[in-house]
Amino acid sequence: MFTADPEIGRDLAAVDWAATPLGPPESWPQSLRTAVSILLSSRFSMWMAWGPDLTFFCNAAYRRDTLGQKYPWALGRPASEVWAEIWDDIGPRIDTVLRTGEATWDEALLLFLKRAGYEEETYHTFSYSPLRDDSGAVVGMLCVVSEETERVIGGRRMTTLRDLGSDPSVVRTEEEMLAFAAHQLGRNLHDLPFTLTYLFEPDGTARLAASAGLTGPHPAAPATLSPGTTGPWPVDAPARGESVTVALEGDGFAGLPTGGRPQPPTEALVVPLLQQGGAPYGFLVAGLNRYRDLDPGYRGFVELVAGHIAAGISSARSYEAQQRRAEELAELDRAKTAFFSNISHEFRTPLTLIMGPVEELRTRFAAGDPRVRDELDTIHRNSLRLGKLVNSLLDFSRIEAGRMQARYEPVDLSAVTAELASVFRSAVDKAGLAFDVDCPPLAEPVHIDRGMWEKVVLNLLSNALKFTFEGSIRVAVRAEDGHAVVTIADTGIGVPAEEMPRLFERFHRIETARSRSNEGSGIGLALVKELVGLHGGTITAVSTLGEGTRFTVRLPFGTGHLPDDALAPAASDAAPSTTAEPYVLEALRWLPAGTSATGAPAVPETGDAPYPSGPEVPARVLIADDNADMREYLTRILRGAGYQVEAVTDGREALRAVRADAPDLVVSDVMMPRLDGLSLVRELRGDPRTAAVPVMLLSARAGQEASIEGLQAGADDYLVKPFAAAELLARVRATVELSRLRTHHARWRTALVESLQEAFFVCDEQGAVVEINAAFTDILGYGPEDLPYRPIHPWWPQADSDPEGHQQVARAFAGLVAEGHGRYTVPVTHREGHRLWIDVAFNHAQDPDTGHRVVVGTFRDVTAEHYVVQRDSALAALSLKVSQATSVPEALTGALNELKELWRARQVLAVVFGHHTEPAVTGTGSAPHWRELPADRREALTALRERPPLTPVTDHTSAAIAVEHPEGPMVLWVELGAGRPFTHEDQLLLSLLAGHLAQGLVRVHQIDQQRETAIALQRAILGPSDLPDGFAVRYEPATRPLEVGGDWYDTVALPDGRIGIVVGDCVGRGLEAASVMGQLRSACRALLLQDASPAQTLMALDRFAAGVSGALCTTVFCGVLDPDTGLLTYSSAGHPPGILVHHDGTTRLLEEGRSVPLAVRPGRVRPEGTCTIPARATLLLYTDGLVERRRRPLSVGIDQAGEAVHEGRDAAVDDLATQVMSRLAPENGYDDDVALLLYRHPAPLDVAFPAESSQLAPVRQALRTWLERCQLPPQTAQNVLVAAGEACANAIEHGHRHSPGEIVRLRAEAYVDDLRLVITDSGQWKTPQPEANAHRGRGMTLMKAMMQHVTVTSGAAGTTVQMHTRIA
Amino acid sequence: MTTPLTLTPGRRADGTLLLTAVGEIDMTNTDVLAEALDAEQGPVLLDLTGVEYLDSAGLNVLFAHADRVELVATPLLAPVLTISGLSDLTTVHGL
Repeated sequence: MFTADPEIGRDLAAVDWAATPLGPPESWPQSLRTAVSILLSSRFSMWMAWGPDLTFFCNAAYRRDTLGQKYPWALGRPASEVWAEIWDDIGPRIDTVLRTGEATWDEALLLFLKRAGYEEETYHTFSYSPLRDDSGAVVGMLCVVSEETERVIGGRRMTTLRDLGSDPSVVRTEEEMLAFAAHQLGRNLHDLPFTLTYLFEPDGTARLAASAGLTGPHPAAPATLSPGTTGPWPVDAPARGESVTVALEGDGFAGLPTGGRPQPPTEALVVPLLQQGGAPYGFLVAGLNRYRDLDPGYRGFVELVAGHIAAGISSARSYEAQQRRAEELAELDRAKTAFFSNISHEFRTPLTLIMGPVEELRTRFAAGDPRVRDELDTIHRNSLRLGKLVNSLLDFSRIEAGRMQARYEPVDLSAVTAELASVFRSAVDKAGLAFDVDCPPLAEPVHIDRGMWEKVVLNLLSNALKFTFEGSIRVAVRAEDGHAVVTIADTGIGVPAEEMPRLFERFHRIETARSRSNEGSGIGLALVKELVGLHGGTITAVSTLGEGTRFTVRLPFGTGHLPDDALAPAASDAAPSTTAEPYVLEALRWLPAGTSATGAPAVPETGDAPYPSGPEVPARVLIADDNADMREYLTRILRGAGYQVEAVTDGREALRAVRADAPDLVVSDVMMPRLDGLSLVRELRGDPRTAAVPVMLLSARAGQEASIEGLQAGADDYLVKPFAAAELLARVRATVELSRLRTHHARWRTALVESLQEAFFVCDEQGAVVEINAAFTDILGYGPEDLPYRPIHPWWPQADSDPEGHQQVARAFAGLVAEGHGRYTVPVTHREGHRLWIDVAFNHAQDPDTGHRVVVGTFRDVTAEHYVVQRDSALAALSLKVSQATSVPEALTGALNELKELWRARQVLAVVFGHHTEPAVTGTGSAPHWRELPADRREALTALRERPPLTPVTDHTSAAIAVEHPEGPMVLWVELGAGRPFTHEDQLLLSLLAGHLAQGLVRVHQIDQQRETAIALQRAILGPSDLPDGFAVRYEPATRPLEVGGDWYDTVALPDGRIGIVVGDCVGRGLEAASVMGQLRSACRALLLQDASPAQTLMALDRFAAGVSGALCTTVFCGVLDPDTGLLTYSSAGHPPGILVHHDGTTRLLEEGRSVPLAVRPGRVRPEGTCTIPARATLLLYTDGLVERRRRPLSVGIDQAGEAVHEGRDAAVDDLATQVMSRLAPENGYDDDVALLLYRHPAPLDVAFPAESSQLAPVRQALRTWLERCQLPPQTAQNVLVAAGEACANAIEHGHRHSPGEIVRLRAEAYVDDLRLVITDSGQWKTPQPEANAHRGRGMTLMKAMMQHVTVTSGAAGTTVQMHTRIA
Repeated sequence: MTTPLTLTPGRRADGTLLLTAVGEIDMTNTDVLAEALDAEQGPVLLDLTGVEYLDSAGLNVLFAHADRVELVATPLLAPVLTISGLSDLTTVHGL
């Protein structure tokens, strides 16, 4: 019995069962054996309890998943002892199952199990279903469990991680970030009963920065911890980047929060908050759920939390650092200005001392040596330039110090501006540009400081000239809205839009593609803006790249905006001051015609800075190059710099390696076989998973075009061979660090996706799976290395072998592509070939990088749930079929049909190897005989019966299992059809169903036997075993439910040769009615024998019945028949009327002699009726079950009964009884007991006589008398007499010539339209030979002439003559 | 026990033998009939109107004397006499 699992079976066998209420296994009922077999052969986790103590059994899966250390102690113990700790939870559920027989279902119920030596938080989804004993009573329960602890807890942790990442604000301070994180951690106190975040101060002290779970101060949460201390938390270990587990023992840890559980945590995990490339920021103390083991999953969760906090700190700190840096830069800016202005003062003196003598020398050598003059000019120009710079700086410092000495005098701004412009005309002309000065006089004067205004206009003009290579420069002055508006516009190169905001920023230089000079201090426009501002005006710039720039200065008219003390009266027209000269001279130097004193702008040389080393955090670099030397060279350099290097030989390999595990950088040659570098870049960029992987291309092709091609393909950098090691390392380092900055978010996302318990995938618009996570691979077996997976995906069920599964997936996939969202449960095939069921949900999303529509989905493995549901419904269907069946064959046929439907099988056969010589085959559809099965099939089936029961056997087209059938071993054989998979779960299901079937068959068989016993009993007490000739009777107990009825019939041979006939119906059903019936029947018999009057009999029976409890209202038809004459005397006690059907089909109801049912009016005189039954008429007596139907008058049933009798006129009376019963039976069988009695008049003649000629006359006389009763025409009777006489004479003369005295039988039977004679003897006739023996031939001739049909059958046992003739 | 049969000899007006049978004729008493018929030579008129049963054994005796026997019978015996062909060989009165 325990053989289905050798290991558990051994331990089960070792249990002292005799000491349990179940007793020794040999005594166990079939139902318990079956249940144990199913349990042990199942791969699903199950346990069961049986008997008064709910004795515990379990299988291997349950032992492994749930029972843990309680095994094998638990086997054979009361379930309440095994699961004492959760009995409060499960006890009531089990009670419900035992009480109601209905199954329970719990999803993810929290249970604290002590199976691993500690109280463990677990979640189980389980169903308790009732187990029944052989009589059908619920005596135990079966629990099918699937543990969901991982799913529930994983989901909870996932939620916390997701919430942690859900911070909507972009930037936060460190404090805000920590408070947010603490708030989120406080929402998962089950996993994190409390958390403390400590951050290191620069001196190594740890400071408590945030906490969750604690409501107030606690000794375990000191505000600071010095380096070197160990209590309550270690500081040095996390500072070194190590995690530590701390046992929470001692007073300092008393009163810690329990996290919503009964007991506080016993351990905490101290995890460093790691900083990339630096010492940890601090550490996280996480109180641990004492009801869970600190497994890698739990540890990983805490580390992910710490990682998130560390990332948050990193981002907050870098934000703070940026802020600080911006402030520092502003400060530096101010300091720089101050510095320059301070030293500028000091420069002015020496400058003056330089410029003065230079002026003198220039004058003196004006006509001298040209070389000397050129050099003097150079000195002069640069002095001026330096002076201009110094003056500008001084202006700044004055403005900032508020010490700018301005003198605003009213001027005609148009005139002043035009004059300044004219100074530049020569330079503009020389540059080949049009110079358009449009300065009509203004109606009002504008107050300006002439010196300052000069600087404004000259700076703007100088700027325009510097950046304009063709076209024009335009200066215009207008009056507009109370302002003078001066515009200086050029058709130059323009300023990029992104640079516009910084156009007027101090020291900011715009890097442009082209300018007349690379010189510039970056202070010109800044100064212009300051100066315009001092005038109460504004300056704006509009620029279009490649088209030009326009500066607009707006100065208000009037003086309201100016300080009163700075106003001055209009001065006489003053020529432009010397200020202009340096500007013009400088501008002229830019122009081609000028001497090239400064030469081409120099490109700064890369200095001999030390080689950059490798990254601070090791980075992984993948090298793809087909040249082995090159691979080695690159590997050596990069390894030497601290990189982890992997090298492959071509682009295809590189692609595969990147998809499997993306490196931090790919360094790839451009020219490679199979897949070249450019194609590799394109492939990587085309796949969302690898789009962000940085790629550096190496090529021997120099030149801009090659590098542009590489960069266009999407490469991050491009390096031309030959290159220096230092350059390679510098570029690699820069690329890696840049990409790390860029991909921080992506990596966080990847970590999140990878940590999902559910499988995650992304499909592109065509339905190809382009991204998956680890859980996806775990569930389906398909990894990232073969991405993308294009439809039809390899995990679809095969269309040819599993068209239905294929269809289901195809439908779901169509939904995925068309609808974009949905949820399906579909079958899929694992890479290793086994069948899975997954619950998949998906939604459309937009890929933020490409803007393409993608589908993002998740799924989980619901195989176990699916099979539980399938199993439950299959078991339910099978149980229903079996329980509805009224016989073993019906139960079996129903079950086979269920199996056929379940597996869509071609055919299901059951072969029972019973007591018969040939095994009995039952099947779906028309079952073949055993002999008709092919020989090899017969052999295989016979072999299967020897197999242990309930152990499925499969081949590629069928599955079979041996089961116990009440009549002997049975083999179930399911023909699946070629190539149909029959999975392990299918096998399990088959054994479960077979077990159920076996149990069900035993039950049905028992009911069958009880029923047959009861029917046999009923028949035994019903009526006479020897019926008089001419009678036929039937008794049919109601089909369902099984009951013994109170109906009866009886015939009594009375001493005077007459026959008493009784049909009765006691009230009620069952044994009680049967016992009343038995008494009434016996009494009636006795009364009839005493006084052959039906009325007298019934009156006496009235008195008798009054004394029998339950006999009241019994209805009885009682008659006495003279079989010779057909005279029937009768009386009816409330019984339905007898029906007399004449030979012509007319009917007559025996409605006379009617009175009330028995014992209703004891003592009342009962009437009597008479009726002569004519020849070949048939009398039908019955109980109401035959004719009574709901919603139908009784007369309809009586008419039908009459018709049924008439239609059976050609049948012998016994056959007629069968016909009537079946014709009148309702569709689903009789629902009430039926007793039926038929008599056809006259009764057949049956004479046996010795084979002596002297017997001929008396036999003839008997036949003649009988023929008279048949009321035949005299000639017909004479013919029959002659034919019978010849046959009898032959029997005597030829059959028994040598053995006189043997018995000859004559039987004559009148049908309604037909008369049949049978004469049998035990001798053998000689074949008649009329020529040789004329008189013998005459006998036969006579017989044949007198009767319509004569057959003579002669055999070893004797000779039979059958003759009949129509008599209608 | 033999089947009851009485044979009463007599003479017709022309002096020929008249044999009147009453009862049944079967294999148990055909010898009695045969003896009565053989008792005299010459034509015989056999009156079977009182015979309720005649089977093939009786017919055999009548066939043996068919050339000199004439019969008187009721319709009851007609089928037997006709079917056996006896009525073709001898004169049957009364049918």
